[in-house]
Amino acid sequence: MLKTSTTDVVPEKKVQAKQRQGFKLNAKDKYYASIFLGPSLLILGLFVFYPMIKTLYISMFLTNTLGNTTVFVGLGNYVKLISAPDFISSMMVTILYVVAVTILTIALGLLLANLASQKLPGISIFRTLYSVTMGVSVSVAAIFWLFIFNPSTGFFALMSGWFNLPVVNWLTSPANAMWAVIITTVWMNLGFTFLILLGAIESVPRTLYEAADVEGVSSRYQFFHITIPMISPTLFFVSTITIIGAFKSFGLIDLITKGGPTNATNMLVYRIYKDAFYSGNYAKSSTEAIILTVIIAFFTLLQFKFLEKKVNY
Amino acid sequence: MANFDESAILKRVFSYILLIALAVVILAPFFIGIWASFLPTMDIAKGDLFSTNVSFNNYVSAFTKTPILRYLANTVVIATVTMFAQLIFCSMSAYAFVFLKFKYQKTIFSLFLITMMLPFEAEIIPNFATIKSMGLLDNYAALIIPFLTSAFGTFMLRQSFMQTPAELKEASDIEGLNHFQFYWHIVLPYNKISMITLGAYSFLGAWNQYLWPMLTTFSNNSRVIQNGLKQLQSEETFNDWGMIQASAAIIVIPTIIVLFVGQHYFKSGMNEGAVK
Amino acid sequence: MSKLKKYAMPLVIVLGVILVAIFGKAISAKSAVNDNRTPIVFWHEMGGPSEQALEQVVDGFNKSQTKYKVIPKYQGSYDEAIQKILQTHGTSTSPAVFQAFDISTAQMLHSGYTTPVQNFIDADHYDVSKISSVARSFYSNGGKQQAMPFNTSQPVLYYNASLLKKYGITPPPVSPSYSDITRVAQQIYEKSGHKVKGMTVQVYGWFIEQALANAGTQLANNNDGHTGNPTEVKLNNPDSVEFLKWIKENIKSNDFIDYGSGASAGANQTAGFLSDKVGIFIQSSASIGDLIKNNKNQLGITYFPHPDNKKANGVAIGGAALWISNDKPKNVQQGAFEFIKYALKPEVQAQWQKATGYLALNKDSQKTQTLKDLYAKSPESKVPGQQLATAKANYSNSGILMEGMQLTRQLEEVAMETVYNGGDIDHALTTADKDINDNLTQLNKANGYK
Repeated sequence: MLKTSTTDVVPEKKVQAKQRQGFKLNAKDKYYASIFLGPSLLILGLFVFYPMIKTLYISMFLTNTLGNTTVFVGLGNYVKLISAPDFISSMMVTILYVVAVTILTIALGLLLANLASQKLPGISIFRTLYSVTMGVSVSVAAIFWLFIFNPSTGFFALMSGWFNLPVVNWLTSPANAMWAVIITTVWMNLGFTFLILLGAIESVPRTLYEAADVEGVSSRYQFFHITIPMISPTLFFVSTITIIGAFKSFGLIDLITKGGPTNATNMLVYRIYKDAFYSGNYAKSSTEAIILTVIIAFFTLLQFKFLEKKVNY
Repeated sequence: MANFDESAILKRVFSYILLIALAVVILAPFFIGIWASFLPTMDIAKGDLFSTNVSFNNYVSAFTKTPILRYLANTVVIATVTMFAQLIFCSMSAYAFVFLKFKYQKTIFSLFLITMMLPFEAEIIPNFATIKSMGLLDNYAALIIPFLTSAFGTFMLRQSFMQTPAELKEASDIEGLNHFQFYWHIVLPYNKISMITLGAYSFLGAWNQYLWPMLTTFSNNSRVIQNGLKQLQSEETFNDWGMIQASAAIIVIPTIIVLFVGQHYFKSGMNEGAVK
Repeated sequence: MSKLKKYAMPLVIVLGVILVAIFGKAISAKSAVNDNRTPIVFWHEMGGPSEQALEQVVDGFNKSQTKYKVIPKYQGSYDEAIQKILQTHGTSTSPAVFQAFDISTAQMLHSGYTTPVQNFIDADHYDVSKISSVARSFYSNGGKQQAMPFNTSQPVLYYNASLLKKYGITPPPVSPSYSDITRVAQQIYEKSGHKVKGMTVQVYGWFIEQALANAGTQLANNNDGHTGNPTEVKLNNPDSVEFLKWIKENIKSNDFIDYGSGASAGANQTAGFLSDKVGIFIQSSASIGDLIKNNKNQLGITYFPHPDNKKANGVAIGGAALWISNDKPKNVQQGAFEFIKYALKPEVQAQWQKATGYLALNKDSQKTQTLKDLYAKSPESKVPGQQLATAKANYSNSGILMEGMQLTRQLEEVAMETVYNGGDIDHALTTADKDINDNLTQLNKANGYK
């Protein structure tokens, strides 16, 4: 659908998998397949499939100080985990974070993309500026924002000083710390989301808008009744990517809040890390890892289900 | 556009105001951070953000007192190698799915799809053990080998390869090209845009790695920039904010330049591969 | 699209790689000076300014040596380092000598991955009596010195003496009670016209443990683990309640500011203290160097405060010790011990205290010109050392010898934060107890401890 590359130039006849059903299996292809696929399969097997099974295995044991499995407990770790209030609250926190990040990222990304899709002189400057956070890595984002949130010398604290407002404890009160992490994440996500949505909006046929203009339809109406429906596939794609990314958040949390205060930002992946590589409880960490996998798998499947309609394989 | 009636002008002015306001909000963290990087830490600690003691001292101390250059170098090497490896291995497996016909093709393809559902973050414990048993801890290889290929990259390139005109394959069969030649001389050049996109994607992905390098690097010889920045913040003592901001600026400026240059590819390529 | 634009990105990348090749070479060339001294890999967790001071110690050792060469490698926070040490044991990456913090002592002991320092002390006839006995006892077990204390700190209370003078507030006594501090904090807040907050206590499990130690109360059974592996923890005891009540009282009267937990909290409260946002805070004595150097105000220091109804029992030391791994050949282990001996020399320790604020552990350090000059310049820097010297070592103030202390601290911090944010003290402590004991039971089961 979004065609900006050279593939446009070439006429319709394409090698589609389904059209190629007629190809016969031949021995040579088998030889080539092993060469072409071998390396990737080896790496994926060693670093994706095997560790998944191993993690599942560890999650059914207790592990000792040295990290070795000792006592078999079956599903005991799972039962213990999902009945622990601190784990439940961690899950709630994670979900809150994911929902807030996704909504804000998409809404702001749309706003920016819609604004930047106007045909105005100098608009390309704004497009460049809006995508700038794509070049920001977690550590840099964290450092910039930590400095802004700092309660005594931070920019927000200074600003409240100018306007004689009470200083907000961005990093020390549980609710605010969550927002601090959300704001930073959304800020980081924005560049990428903006760029993709802009591409999608630009590919909406101009004729639709021209027709609407002739009809005298307001630009707000155009946005909700032309733009949004036309870019809904991209919106869906960006949402699932954002959701999956948010579930896997780690770096920002490690740098900004370390999961605190009062575990208010102790999200799933941070727990997995902390339980294993701080506290040395590898069994608990593996149990949490399996739960994370189930969640990620669900959203990835959702994405596939959708792509299936668009893609034939 | 030629029609300069009042409301159109008003609308345009309003658009610019909004555009500028949003740009300011988005860029504010950069400006504040970069401004702070020119101030002495003591002024920052006192909250004196409008200090006039502007200097490059923080940059000098970031370069001379910290191993930031070494971290940058490590990261560039790792990200570059990862990028080329993914370009090669992903394109090879994508090629196999599109242009070859073999037993269990569907099953193997599903396996690739399944790997996209398994988050690396959930597999760090066994992967640490694997890298340890290979004797690769604290080595560039530890940060590269698990990421030599990617299911996402394969999937993305497969989508792109499927758009290759059938005539090209037919022509190359007539020419007597074997699969290697067809792959190297026709398919890769033809899908250049997708390759560049995947390249940028995997480079940035490797550049932004945080958790895994944190677990597997133990010295400055292999430590990457994302973890290195954290080291500048000390545990029990006082933070040298000026120098930390300077280091952040040193890191972010090159990536932003790369990004501006590569932006065009990235946008079109991502849309290509993502939503077809 | 222009050709230039097309090739710019690959070009930038290639240029980057070339740059790396050049820089990388230069850097590795520097470190690979060909000498045939035995390399001793040393893992440490000193970040920021302390790292520079530590590198001076290492440089000093290396210059004095023809046989060994210590290679320092930073490992992140204390917390992170423990699992790195345990999980790399037996590989070529693992260190010959490493710095591990106070609360990991039980883990290190039980791992069986280290050679007791005592073995080398005996073989070398090294005189340990010069080293502070309180610090030594923290890291000994079964009559054997397991590790050598190195960077040792004491929690102390800092106050802004200039501020007190300005407002005519009587300074707290050198060993203050909770209510002494409350009085000063409230006066600062009131007399500054609510511009300066009176006090803060960082959400840090170490502090609640110290409050217990100073009240002479044990957190874990079996004498805080010194006479057997602990099986039960009781954080909900009158002395924890007293400590949290004290903080809560100050929160209620608005003279308290909460900087939260974690490394950034520590940095933020220091910044707040230096910029006259808060008048009193509790922190490791290791901060003293920065607080004197970067301070336009006069600094005041007292001992860790004690409950009103009790005499101060003295606090346990904090910081970390140096351990020798047993997965390295004999000569490497010997080299590691040579480094330990060097690091504890009077002059080295004196210099270390001056640079970092960690206390000089060698008694002879006090006689050095370095420390004499330091005390002459800033007499208050004597206080932490005095606190260490006044305390008599007993089971309550010799640390908690229990595994799972990292998680315990996290749970203590959750309890503290809950209280700071308005939660009920009893409930917060009971929750913490339940979680800590759950974890302890499981840990003992997994390890087969009775």
